[in-house]
Amino acid sequence: MSDISVPRLQHIIASGAVAAVGAWVTYVSYTQQPAEAFLFPRLISTVFVVLALWTFAKACLGWTKVGSGLSGRQFANMLPGLAVALIYIFWATKGLGFYTATAIAFFILLSLYDPASHRELRSWVKRVIITAIFLAVMYGLFALLLKVYTPREIFF
Amino acid sequence: MEFLFYFGDVFTPINFGLLLIGTIGGLILGATPGLSPTMAVALLIPFTFQLEAAQGLILLGAAYTSTVAGGAVSAILLKIPGAPANIATTLDGHTMAQKGEGAKALQISFLASAVGGVFGVLLLIFLTPVLAQWALAFGPSHLFWLAILGVTVIGSLDSKSVVKGLLSGCIGLWLATIGFDDIMGAQRFIFHPALGGGINIIAALIGLFAIPQVITMFAKGRARNDAEVLEVQKHPISGAIAELGRNKRAMGIGTLTGSIIGLIPGVGGQIAGLVAYDQSKKFSPDRDKFGTGHPEGVIAAESANNAMVGPSLVPLLTLSIPGSPTAAVLLGGLLIHGIFPGTDLFDNHPDVAWTFINSMLIGQVLMCIFGLYVAGMAARVAQVPQSIMAAVVLGLAVFGSYSVQSSMGDVYVMASLGVMMYFLERFGFSAAPLVLGLILGPIAEANFIQGSMIANATDGMAPYFLGGGLNIFLIVVVVASVAYSGYMELRTRRYISKEEIMA
Amino acid sequence: MRNVIAGAAMALLSLTGAAMADGHANYPERPIMMMVSYGAGGATDFQARIVTMTAGNEDALGMPIAILNKPGAGGRVGWNWFATQAEADGYTLAAYNIPHFIAQSIKGGVEYSADSFEPIANWGADPAVFVVAADSEMNSMDDVVTFAKDNPGKLTFSGAGLFVGHHIAALQLEKAAGVKMAYIPTKGGGAAAMKAVIAGEVMGGVNNLSDAFRAQEAGNVKILGVFDLERNEFLPDVPTLKEQGYDVDNASVNFRGVMVPKGTPQAIIDQLAETVPTMFENKRVAGKMKAGGSPMHIMNRQEVLEMWAAREETLKELLAGL
Repeated sequence: MSDISVPRLQHIIASGAVAAVGAWVTYVSYTQQPAEAFLFPRLISTVFVVLALWTFAKACLGWTKVGSGLSGRQFANMLPGLAVALIYIFWATKGLGFYTATAIAFFILLSLYDPASHRELRSWVKRVIITAIFLAVMYGLFALLLKVYTPREIFF
Repeated sequence: MEFLFYFGDVFTPINFGLLLIGTIGGLILGATPGLSPTMAVALLIPFTFQLEAAQGLILLGAAYTSTVAGGAVSAILLKIPGAPANIATTLDGHTMAQKGEGAKALQISFLASAVGGVFGVLLLIFLTPVLAQWALAFGPSHLFWLAILGVTVIGSLDSKSVVKGLLSGCIGLWLATIGFDDIMGAQRFIFHPALGGGINIIAALIGLFAIPQVITMFAKGRARNDAEVLEVQKHPISGAIAELGRNKRAMGIGTLTGSIIGLIPGVGGQIAGLVAYDQSKKFSPDRDKFGTGHPEGVIAAESANNAMVGPSLVPLLTLSIPGSPTAAVLLGGLLIHGIFPGTDLFDNHPDVAWTFINSMLIGQVLMCIFGLYVAGMAARVAQVPQSIMAAVVLGLAVFGSYSVQSSMGDVYVMASLGVMMYFLERFGFSAAPLVLGLILGPIAEANFIQGSMIANATDGMAPYFLGGGLNIFLIVVVVASVAYSGYMELRTRRYISKEEIMA
Repeated sequence: MRNVIAGAAMALLSLTGAAMADGHANYPERPIMMMVSYGAGGATDFQARIVTMTAGNEDALGMPIAILNKPGAGGRVGWNWFATQAEADGYTLAAYNIPHFIAQSIKGGVEYSADSFEPIANWGADPAVFVVAADSEMNSMDDVVTFAKDNPGKLTFSGAGLFVGHHIAALQLEKAAGVKMAYIPTKGGGAAAMKAVIAGEVMGGVNNLSDAFRAQEAGNVKILGVFDLERNEFLPDVPTLKEQGYDVDNASVNFRGVMVPKGTPQAIIDQLAETVPTMFENKRVAGKMKAGGSPMHIMNRQEVLEMWAAREETLKELLAGL
């Protein structure tokens, strides 16, 4: 089995995960009460699991036609950004407050992915200015215009 | 021709001013991710307390019209559909923007919106009494089949792999069942407290479309790559008009589908764009170009979702039944002034009714003019590097999903679905069928349950769901759609195997 | 030992409570939010927006009230949120619907009960009515019951969901008349249930008085009976169920009002209980409510507390068999 290529292995893992979710959904639909409330979930989970197993079988046999998978380089590139985004969304928005967290995350992401040189002062000034403009627009739109109540900020 | 008498009323300074405010405000609100037309109109209701009935309705009607069209702006430039109505617009619109044709995409989307919208309002004016009966013809069994038809549309939307398209649709249908079920109140699949309220459709939309795009930009890394810059080339408006003229078929299909679907209470504008997109794809000789930045796709989707605006008000204005959530909000705007929709409205308050309807007609034109102006401005935003784009889209996604109902749970759901969707997309699954499943799931389920209860009390399941002309017609279309999908699947399989032989 | 700690904690709480009460002299200092557990445009949302529109006046609270919609599952989503996650600081109010949330808490599967909330005041009472399509052959409740007796379980009638006012009314009717009928709950509130009646998908329906009144004005339905103790001013010609010989009281009447989560400082509750009813009595509010066909029924905190207790008892009995 050493001839299994990396994309093919990835396809097996991905479709396997989908099939596992499908199996769980089907199991829950057929065991939970009240039965009336799970009538429709039973209907769709059955189709779900059949299609998922079909896809999984095709992936195992290497018949998958669409989807190019993920290269190691792409994964390495996105990892820091994804980490910042997840910390920002799942912790910082509530922990630090919406506007504080957005300012910090926005600035870090710009610094991580902006191709301009990190050594020049000019590019740093530019990043600070862009962050400030973005925040001002967000504040004007959501806080002033739409009156969205955000959780209290940590610093003010 | 009664409506002509009241055209003058639209152009009094106050009324016209309100129409302008509603149109411009609606475009801005519509372009904001997370703000659906329903919410935009609801936000404006308090302002109408101070106004007269006709004035208040002009403001609300203008806002309704232009938020639907404004949603195209973020759909095309940011790939965040502002509302379900704009999903289909992202498919070709954003691809056009990536190719540097953002201004062209915006222009044709606003022009198509205006043409569809004007047609829809004209239907409202001339055929209201006839259409009212039409709208009522759809009972639970028909709405169930209609939703199933939508599910088969899911399969053919993603013609690269019908199985994966249908599977994505199933995932969407399942996601829609999470939360309390509406009839029994039983808890289903709530494995995290954030899911207690079910998956909010707007938050899910933002996550499924915006987050994969952000991660894709991350994955490209820090390289200076000019090809990835979202550049917007200038495009003459006359060119956009000519483009519209070349695509009369997409225009016609979009407008008709939108008008018909807009009439049906409960299904409404949410799926008008997607169904029209799918239909014009099936009828187009260049169906392979759909999804690759083909103007026909944008035209079909946008003409459909504005064509649905006028007819969606027919059940409200004639039968006093709000056919869509937005119509329900408009009903509130009428009631505050002691006006009941129905015969009372047209007999006793024709000035209010016709001024309102006329203002929607003028509103479509104004919306088009301002929209084209916005498109012109977009051309001046020369280059947005992808690092900034990724951070902006992420920030907008977080604020937009939070603002839907001021809930952190929605933000978590948005992010989780988005990250999941990125990985699924890498393996050939696509977001559009998943979202369609999410939207159609509750409609299909509610009508299935309701229909089966009626059927059990009356003439039984089989005659209720399978009998009657409309049921049979819908079933035939469903079967034809499945057959078509199967044929497409076989055709691509042959194509691949031929390629394998060549290799 | 545990009791000692609990006692100490209670003492500490009451101390801080008293200390905080002094700090509430300036309440409210910032805008107040009111959660409505139904979607924008629905009857509850619409009325909530009207009755709170004068909150910013000097003689009312002096601060505006913003409406926040948390719709879903017949109100369960919003009330669950309110019971478990809302801050009990006096700046988070919610609209209640009786009998909905009490019936849901008796049925179970939710995280609230009547004890999770503190009522402030009641603004409206919307009785349920029985409607049939305008071209229906049935002209009185007797016709309906006769048909149901001849065709047990075959008379289909719609209503907005299970364990809401309409469902309670349906159960009461079946019990009082001793018949079996097919209650069809619809998704999408009273509007969807009304559409089913007008379109002839069902033979009749239970619906809100305000919506049914409008539909009757438009010539689409006939109203056969009111599920209340007395006739309604909007429909002086329509008899109550009791007048037609069926023992149905006002347990299904949809009472709407304002409440706060349990744990809100008593000083704030008292202040709200005093101000809010006068805010409802404002002439502009009454005018808008009347224009919209929404019956008002203002009750103070004490009256609401009694009404909640009475409903809980009736509903427990009625829902016991389900």
